[in-house]
Amino acid sequence: MTVPTDQHKELKKDVTFRIFRFNPQVDSKPYFDDYTIPVERGITVLRSLNYIKEHIDASISFRAFCQAGICGSCGMRINSLSQLACTTQVWDVLSKSKEHGVIKVEPLRNLPLIKDLIVDMDPLVGKMKHYSNWVDSTMPEASMGKKEFLISEQEFLRYDKATDCILCASCVSECSILRVNKEYVSPAVLLKSFRMNVDSRDAIHEQRLAELVKDHGVWDCTHCYRCQETCVKSIPIMDAIHGIREDAIESRGMKDTSGSKHAEAFMSDIEKKGKLVEATLPIRTNGVLWTLQNLLPMAVKMIIKRRTPPPPPLVKSAKGIKIFREMFREMTEHVKQDHKSHKK
Amino acid sequence: MRFERMKPFDIVIVGGGGAGLYAAMEAMKTNPSLNIAVLSKVYPNRSHTSAAQGGANAALANKAKDDTVEMHIFDTIKGSDYLADQDAVDVLCSEAPKIIRELDNIGTPWSRMDDNTIAQRPFGGAGRPRCCYCSDKTGHTILQTLYEQCLKKGVIFFNEYFALSLSVKGSRSRGLIAMNMKSGKVEAFPAKTVIFATGGYAKMYWNRSSNAAGNTGDGQAIAYRAGIPMKDMEFVQFHPTGLRKSGLLVTEGARGEGGYLINRDGERFMARYAKEKMELGPRDLVSRSLETEILEGRGFDSPAGKYLHLDLTHLGADLIKSRLPQIREMSMQFEGIDPIVEPIPVRPTAHYSMGGIDTDNFTRTVMEGVYAAGECGCVSVHGANRLGGNSLLDILVFGRIAGHTAAQEAGKFEPGTISEAELTAQYDDIRSFMHSSGHYERYGELREELGQTLGTNVGIFREASLLKKGIQDVAELKERFKKVRVFDTSDVFNTNLMQVLELRNMLDLAETVATGAYAREESRGSHTRTDFPVRDDAKWHKHTLSTQVNGRVALGEKPVTMGRYELQERTY
Ligand SMILES: Cc1cc2nc3c(=O)[nH]c(=O)nc-3n(C[C@H](O)[C@H](O)[C@H](O)COP(=O)(O)OP(=O)(O)OC[C@H]3O[C@@H](n4cnc5c(N)ncnc54)[C@H](O)[C@@H]3O)c2cc1C
Ligand code: SF4
Ligand code: SF4
Ligand code: FES
Repeated sequence: MTVPTDQHKELKKDVTFRIFRFNPQVDSKPYFDDYTIPVERGITVLRSLNYIKEHIDASISFRAFCQAGICGSCGMRINSLSQLACTTQVWDVLSKSKEHGVIKVEPLRNLPLIKDLIVDMDPLVGKMKHYSNWVDSTMPEASMGKKEFLISEQEFLRYDKATDCILCASCVSECSILRVNKEYVSPAVLLKSFRMNVDSRDAIHEQRLAELVKDHGVWDCTHCYRCQETCVKSIPIMDAIHGIREDAIESRGMKDTSGSKHAEAFMSDIEKKGKLVEATLPIRTNGVLWTLQNLLPMAVKMIIKRRTPPPPPLVKSAKGIKIFREMFREMTEHVKQDHKSHKK
Repeated sequence: MRFERMKPFDIVIVGGGGAGLYAAMEAMKTNPSLNIAVLSKVYPNRSHTSAAQGGANAALANKAKDDTVEMHIFDTIKGSDYLADQDAVDVLCSEAPKIIRELDNIGTPWSRMDDNTIAQRPFGGAGRPRCCYCSDKTGHTILQTLYEQCLKKGVIFFNEYFALSLSVKGSRSRGLIAMNMKSGKVEAFPAKTVIFATGGYAKMYWNRSSNAAGNTGDGQAIAYRAGIPMKDMEFVQFHPTGLRKSGLLVTEGARGEGGYLINRDGERFMARYAKEKMELGPRDLVSRSLETEILEGRGFDSPAGKYLHLDLTHLGADLIKSRLPQIREMSMQFEGIDPIVEPIPVRPTAHYSMGGIDTDNFTRTVMEGVYAAGECGCVSVHGANRLGGNSLLDILVFGRIAGHTAAQEAGKFEPGTISEAELTAQYDDIRSFMHSSGHYERYGELREELGQTLGTNVGIFREASLLKKGIQDVAELKERFKKVRVFDTSDVFNTNLMQVLELRNMLDLAETVATGAYAREESRGSHTRTDFPVRDDAKWHKHTLSTQVNGRVALGEKPVTMGRYELQERTY
């Protein structure tokens, strides 16, 4: 079989990697270096970086370990999107490059820069500690190892996806709140917190939750969905965030005074602007009916800290808005009742 | 300041994989007042334990009600081709149910069966389905759980520290010397005890390896240069199903779930080699079967080399999506193939190092206060061939024993002091690669050539003339290494320097692998000599020890502990 000639031509492409450089020992500010190499189909960004390091410039610094998308070391921004270099195909990103034939490679955002493409992961680890991202077992240490907990497949499925997280910090890099508030809990840590909270073996669910509803916690999230869209393991991070909020309302009610303030802010937001900024996103993603059944009751009770909202989504379905408004009115009444009874 | 000093530690653990973290957790439990540090060249959760997909063996008897610890022991000894120490295997298998339950008790998300107990599946070389798993991310979830528990317990981590050497005085270690990657400083960790848990050395086969870039046997090399013997280094396991291009692994789980191995004639060729077990025969046998099919011309051809098919298409989309999602993802990302519709192109890949630092059943080395556990150590429970699912078990069981033993014995020792002169010597040593005069060799080339010669001459099928060539090549590469150049002269996060130091470690160990393989004139487990095709118990039923003497490897031996099962022919 002969390969058509135009395919022959396409076997290799010259690709320019525009790499972010910064060495704190000598550079006062970062700059970019261009490296142009021929790249064939099937080559990942990481393999290209390795090639450049081995053959052109040994001083380029980046992390990589498993080279198989499982250790989470190689998170970086490739053409302005945070992802893993080792699972990203060069030709794929090339087709989306703004400048023809150029791929821009930068370090993750929202974590302190160390050198070139390497950022400091310690702040993230610090937050995992702060939010007790571990199972604090209901079983005393002395009894351990003797028998297993009985856990249903159903419970397992609740945290199964969340345990896929490889702590690559891609979501952290894209989070809109972290850009303005570095103390914000972070999507990956919310995900992990949720995973612990739904584990029946864990004994400190209340304590963790109490921490999560404080400042810089779960209520700071704007529901912009950036984290979920970014996640390199396609984990539904928003389910975790909703889960924690639902849980917080269910088990803590409107006890949190800050919570009720957020609720008011949320409602007036909708009334004034006539825009269903946050709630429409789930409609878009999950459909009207799903949203009404699952989210609206909570969404209205809910409680969003007042922040610059993300750009309003374009909801085309007039029907969706109409149904939403009706539900909203109903729920508002309900919340007011709720509120009163709590105050008593 | 180019140096930094720490106050003395009771225990310094080198390595934050499954073995290192279990050791840390257990040591804290044994004696919470101890001052313990874990050093790791990558963040612990990045360690290679995360790559283990298949699972960990334990005779819980959840799935097969008639499974017993004794059967697990027998399978392991038989699998090892009778080179495992039988008392050590006893410890491994007897502790297994306890350790799996303990992991469950602290939050490991094991997959579950209908009766809500921990799920188990069949794995190669095992008489019963006893491999406990969490979908196909078992190692990852175990590592996460251990890391979380260590954070909970407040273990002190020195992340992104690269261990350089042991400081030795007479027969004792005074502690460890390491480089802080973030600052480039050389730091002293005076310690009463040191536990090595740095993982395996199979990356020396470079592109023909399933391992992470950093599985370069650093701990073994450090111990080796400090005069501690290595054991059974010639035994390197090849996994039958590496992806054709990258060597990355398609787990045995794929075959456990019912995948077929197919040659270019469309045959399920395993019928020729293991009639009963077929695709689920032990690893060494399946690897050799694939290699034979390829050598005899029944493989497929491609620019990236000859290969065979691992066919999952008959399993159906649902099963593949629910039970083998990672495998599907990897096939798509690295081969551009969806296993639901197409078979996966595979060939054998260097996967696991059975050999390692020689220890007793309590993980003690010959040097007082120095311990080794996990893939880095060799107790030996795997002998000439490790069974799938027994390695995770090994790192957990012996990681825990190491933590416990060191915690109990730390009190016996005084912490040493590490002198300024020693630190200066280390610093000068690593900086010497940056001198421009006389340094011009490129580490990338040397590394590539090392992998090439090992794959060809010290690979699946071995033979005297090939092995001689391998030894010679490694010696030449070691010479050339002296002229290697580190082009990056900066202090902060110098990955160029780190990779060069890793290459040095691989070269030192490669010499022990090739020399051990040349000496062992028999075929046993993973070690197949075409010129000595049968197991020779009279001459070779013993462990190989390799010790560094005047910069060269010197071979010795050690008897195998028997006591449970007599030598038998190993057939499946
Ligand atoms: C692809 C793959 C799949 C596998 N699947 C299975 C399976 O299904 N079942 C099974 O039982 N086994 C499996 N194994 C084998 C098993 O995963 C490993 O043997 C085991 O995880 C090794 O654990 P460890 O703790 O000894 O070392 P690792 O997890 O490799 O950890 C080594 C640690 O040492 C540190 N380190 C290394 N060098 C230095 C240095 N110079 N300075 C400081 N720190 C250092 C590293 O940072 C790391 O933290 C698999 C292996 C591979 C490669
Ligand atoms: S949805 Fe919330 S956590 Fe996710 S990126 Fe947006 S603000 Fe951050
Ligand atoms: S949630 Fe996804 S993107 Fe975020 S750290 Fe985990 S794996 Fe990476
Ligand atoms: S190198 Fe491990 S995820 Fe990319």
